Amino acid sequence: MNEVRTKPPLGRIEVSNFSLSYESIDGAVQAVTDTRIHVDPGEFVSIVGPSGCGKSTLLNAVAGFLKPTTGVVTVDGEPVNGPSAERGMVFQQYSLFPWKTVRENVEFGLKMRGMPRSQRERAARTLLGLAGLEAFEKHYPERLSGGMKQRVGIVRALATGPKVLLLDEPFGALDAQTRVIMQQILTNMWQRLKISVLFVTHDIDEAIFLSDRVYCMTARPGSIKAEIPIPLDARGSSR
Amino acid sequence: MPSAGAETKPAVASAMTPGPTPSFAALARRWYRLNQAGLRAAVIGAISLAAFLVVWHLLTTYRVVFFVRFVNVPTPLAVYASFTKAMHDPKFLMHLLLSCRRIFIGFSLAAIVGVPLGLIMGRFKLVHEAVFPVAEVLRPIPAIAWVPMAIMLWPTNEQSIVFITFLGSFFPILVNTLHGMSLVDPVLVRAAQCLGARERSIFREVYFPASLPHIFTGLTVGMGVAWVSLIAAEMISGQYGIGYFTWEAYSLVQYADIALGMIAIGVLGLASSLLIRAAGRLVMPWRPK
Ligand SMILES: Nc1ncnc2c1ncn2[C@@H]1O[C@H](COP(=O)(O)OP(=O)(O)O)[C@@H](O)[C@H]1O
Ligand SMILES: [Mg+2]
Repeated sequence: MNEVRTKPPLGRIEVSNFSLSYESIDGAVQAVTDTRIHVDPGEFVSIVGPSGCGKSTLLNAVAGFLKPTTGVVTVDGEPVNGPSAERGMVFQQYSLFPWKTVRENVEFGLKMRGMPRSQRERAARTLLGLAGLEAFEKHYPERLSGGMKQRVGIVRALATGPKVLLLDEPFGALDAQTRVIMQQILTNMWQRLKISVLFVTHDIDEAIFLSDRVYCMTARPGSIKAEIPIPLDARGSSR
Repeated sequence: MPSAGAETKPAVASAMTPGPTPSFAALARRWYRLNQAGLRAAVIGAISLAAFLVVWHLLTTYRVVFFVRFVNVPTPLAVYASFTKAMHDPKFLMHLLLSCRRIFIGFSLAAIVGVPLGLIMGRFKLVHEAVFPVAEVLRPIPAIAWVPMAIMLWPTNEQSIVFITFLGSFFPILVNTLHGMSLVDPVLVRAAQCLGARERSIFREVYFPASLPHIFTGLTVGMGVAWVSLIAAEMISGQYGIGYFTWEAYSLVQYADIALGMIAIGVLGLASSLLIRAAGRLVMPWRPK
């Protein structure tokens, strides 16, 4: 995938003094409060916590979809304001464009960047080949299984060579068996690309299997309760 | 595609005669199995149409009077006779052609104005807030109620009829496009944003294709209403047009022509909605039939 990536593999995420509250009819809802996390370049970090504790809120702020109420989010020292192709995102709801074929979905980011058609077709084919999806390049997403959709979602997010990859419970909707396969695939891709990953899940086993480091979050209001480095021998990537 | 059965045969045989290896009967049987549901529907449909014709024939031949009076209603054969005559009558063909032209112009204008307006209203709140109240006030007025106003507004009869056709199809198209825009999945917009898409690309690559199924619903409904409005306008104010032909047949006591006009309207309406459905399949290849 080196031919696709052009930037040096940096990607240090820093979130400091972060809090975010949603305005609602009965006043402000404090979703996340007093949080600081970081992800070093090339590190795989997970955020684990029960449903509703503010994981998506935190991740969406890193992606640039939400503005922090207090604090700052920076990537390589640059404050985040608004979404950008520097930060690839994978959503739980797959979020493939139903009107685009698998390959067109993967090409989308390159197209937005203005890459000529033949060049981005070639790049997309290479990436799909690495993910074992070349046979499906002309399929529309509707005909794919959940696991394959999410594989396409990951490939699509990586196609533009982002500095960091953000994943919001990407395997939450998959069955246990597919989930294990997807975890392997993600680990392989991460090791190949040496990209920084911030991974959100409610599954502690998944977090331990995948990560260098895990942040545990508690609810009401959401904040980091613990930071746990995962020793190499406890992890999937060392096996 | 070679069947699995063909591959198990000795290579020599298949190399010599590649054609008839899977027997014709076997192919026919498989084709029948695959298309059983469609065939069934076609057969039942044909039977039901035939039954309709038979009932019509009996009711009119025996001039049944049972609350409804079939005394003056033409028989199917009489209608067929007037159909063969009309096919050689350039005047009848001109009626058809004029109606189709009015539909084409009125409906196309409605689509050209309604779809972009709906897209823009769905994307820009200010435009929505400004246009929506006016649209809501005008929308419940049936196109037929516009006939007197249209005659005052437009210098020629032709223009006022096209205008009424336009109005009839405009609102369904606008409302459905708006509805489609309001249902666009925000996660897809976010996905596009973090792949580097800007406003313009998001509009073209996400909002527009995501709304297409509803746009086509609007076009289908709009086409139906366009015909309703056209026929009404032609009956009231027209010279020429298939609606006028049908009404004139009544005044001239040409009862067979009344039914002929009605059937012609039905066939044209069906054909135009089939055209739209075909266009929809072409434009949205990702949609299951
Ligand atoms: N748009 C919103 N408006 C108001 N409250 C919200 C909104 N989105 C999320 N919340 C609230 O913020 C809290 C955190 O939500 P979220 O970040 O989605 O949690 P998680 O992803 O961990 O399940 C929840 O209590 C949720 O009800
Ligand atoms: Mg969530």
